[in-house]
Amino acid sequence: MSTPEPRSHSFDASSILRSAHGNNGPVEPCIKVENLNLFYGKKQALHNVNMEMPKKKVTAYIGPSGCGKSTLLRCINRMNDLVDNVTIEGKILLHDDNIYDKSVNVAALRRRIGMVFQKPNPFPKSIFENVTYGLRIQGINDKRILEETVETSLRGAALWDEVKDRLNDNALGLSGGQQQRLVIARAIAIAPEVLLLDEPASALDPISTLKIEELINELKEKYTIVIVTHNMQQAARVSDYTAFMYMGELIEIGATSQLFTKPTKKQTEDYITGRYG
Amino acid sequence: MIKLWFKSGSPWIWLNAAAVSTCLIMVVGVLGLVAARGAGHFWASPIVSMSYQEDDGQVKTIIGEHVDTTVTPAAMAKSTGYKLADNEDVLIQYLIKTGNRDLTGADFRWIQERHVKTQTTPADMIVVERREWGNFYGQLTAVKEDGKVIASGEKVWNVLQERLKSALTLHEQITHLEKKEIGAINYGFEQLRLKQKSLELKNAWNAETVKEFATKKAAYDVDYKRYQAQLAELYQKIRRDSLVATTESGAELVIPLSKVVEVTQPNKMGTFAKIGHYFKKLGDFLSEDPREANTEGGIFPAIFGTIMMVIMMSIIVTPFGVIAAVYLREYAKQGFTTRLIRIAVNNLAGVPSIVYGVFGLGFFVYILGGNIDSLFFPESAPAPVFGTPGLLWASITLALLTLPVVIVSTEEGLARVPKAIREGSLALGATKIETLWRTVLPMASPAMMTGLILAVARAAGEVAPLMLVGVVKLAPTLPLDGNYPFLHLDRKFMHLGFHIYDVGFQSPNVEAARPLVYATSLLLVLVIIGLNLAAILIRNHLREKYRALEG
Repeated sequence: MSTPEPRSHSFDASSILRSAHGNNGPVEPCIKVENLNLFYGKKQALHNVNMEMPKKKVTAYIGPSGCGKSTLLRCINRMNDLVDNVTIEGKILLHDDNIYDKSVNVAALRRRIGMVFQKPNPFPKSIFENVTYGLRIQGINDKRILEETVETSLRGAALWDEVKDRLNDNALGLSGGQQQRLVIARAIAIAPEVLLLDEPASALDPISTLKIEELINELKEKYTIVIVTHNMQQAARVSDYTAFMYMGELIEIGATSQLFTKPTKKQTEDYITGRYG
Repeated sequence: MIKLWFKSGSPWIWLNAAAVSTCLIMVVGVLGLVAARGAGHFWASPIVSMSYQEDDGQVKTIIGEHVDTTVTPAAMAKSTGYKLADNEDVLIQYLIKTGNRDLTGADFRWIQERHVKTQTTPADMIVVERREWGNFYGQLTAVKEDGKVIASGEKVWNVLQERLKSALTLHEQITHLEKKEIGAINYGFEQLRLKQKSLELKNAWNAETVKEFATKKAAYDVDYKRYQAQLAELYQKIRRDSLVATTESGAELVIPLSKVVEVTQPNKMGTFAKIGHYFKKLGDFLSEDPREANTEGGIFPAIFGTIMMVIMMSIIVTPFGVIAAVYLREYAKQGFTTRLIRIAVNNLAGVPSIVYGVFGLGFFVYILGGNIDSLFFPESAPAPVFGTPGLLWASITLALLTLPVVIVSTEEGLARVPKAIREGSLALGATKIETLWRTVLPMASPAMMTGLILAVARAAGEVAPLMLVGVVKLAPTLPLDGNYPFLHLDRKFMHLGFHIYDVGFQSPNVEAARPLVYATSLLLVLVIIGLNLAAILIRNHLREKYRALEG
């Protein structure tokens, strides 16, 4: 096992991004992470992370378990605020606005940055109520709007045909893969700009996984997507950019094709060739 | 060998099984005893007529219901003064309910089996259930109208039933008039008096209000006089008829029908008639007011009071307990203070209930109630309104008593809501309070119901604190009636648990009241089971609805 590089190490992530994708014209960044440090109590979990995630592209985080990829993802919609004893330093910019600014309304921020979790977590309510949950929170109770949203969201999550006849059934009666797509439908029902997917297929069977991956490919037309996965093949299949993290540090970020074929860092190469992790 | 057996663990399994079966047997036994003794009370038992010879040679007749038989060993009987022959091993005694308390001074008599010469069950024996003096046992001879005999011999039974029916209708009308109409007028008068006094206190009592009140009073007076006239007429009608019956000693007794609840001939009744009569008596027991210092009649006010108090208690304890649990679990920073609070809450559950009663009386009734009175009801001074034990204070005291179980089980329910569900809601842009309202609390609702079930079970059976904060032996009015504001939280009320204590241990006629104690106990158990079942059904429904994610 090779020793990680010194902690103070820092590099210009955006330059890498540009160089990696220089040929395809300018890439508009949606989210920028600047000098992000995160501590659980005294233990530092993220070390000076700098990166950009481009608009309407899929960015994948890969790395061994405990490397901080989920932690980083949860920083983007401030889910880590819920954890006791957490300290966050640095900035995350969503279209140049720091989401950690004091004036930010966290609930409104989370409406713009949707999230899907590792395990499907539908509410114990009907399918219809699950999809309309976010809208009802915003005070939208117009039946027509709700019905329209339910249909477009479920179609968007490729679930409409399977559930259109039983919208009032309890969502917990769906299969795991259906539940996960329902959760995605629920997230896109409130029209976010960014979708954060935290290992969305890890609890699913191969066929459901395939469906989710196809769905991600469709969703990137409309949303900026950030996905955490421990499955490198999955990252290679679905993402445009891949970031490799190790022990709380961002080691390397680049276009997926490049990172998997010509990694610039030794640790990345070791990981993707299966030497550790 | 025995060592191996111990090692295998089966002795422990047997021990556990034995403990469980012992508990079950005890529960079933208690319920069975209470049910058998209590439910049997309403069965029309046959009336026996015994002729027996006393030790001094006199032959007497005794009429009544056979209630109990005791067997005493001869030696023991002799030592207490019974004169037994040498060939007798045991002394058998019968307890006979002879009624006719107004004539003999006692309802029950013990007679020795060896003295009984003959025992018959004559078909024409009647039982008269009376509003005063308990039951009458004897033979019907005539029916009188205004003191003149109008029926005797064969026809007497049918005529009596006819007359009794109309007398009962009249009695119902009288009660209705007295309680509802005249009761409402009295209530109105009292309200007027209080209003007048409050106006006087505010120095707003002037010629105009004097006039206004005078017209109102006049209107009440007119109504009152009309009802009085109606009442007088009804009383005259109901006093017209009476029945004549002979007792065991041959004496004649005239019983006015206005004092009669029911006349039956149990010895003539077939099984079906007895079953019908049983359910009628049971219905009366559940729906009527008590009579004769609670030893006769029904227990409706006690049932009503118990349920009313439990419902009030639930309404008070649920929001308080849930809010406290939500704060403790969701908002408070977990640490030394919350641990201390939890320990305090758990200890609160172990405080003897009478302590809550004393606290309720001292704090709620005297301090809170006294201040409410002086602030809001100065006109009724010196009579207290809320500064005296009543339904509100009893409910609040019991709510305090049951608060710990609601807090503890709600907290457990909140802790069981998966983190994933909360995060899912927050990730959709819900704030913490929206997440709580829309998702977490509904999912924790079965646990809240569990807490409420435990609270109801404890509160419904509690007596000691209630004696201090609002329960009385006899409440003239229910806490809920047709007079504005309909729900009278300041009123005292009756309670099944206290009723059992009062009837069983404070009554002048313990022997007569004993079956009522069993019946009331059975009913109390049934009421608690009923309340619990209702809560359990709601909980199971909620559980099904908010079934959480597996794992």
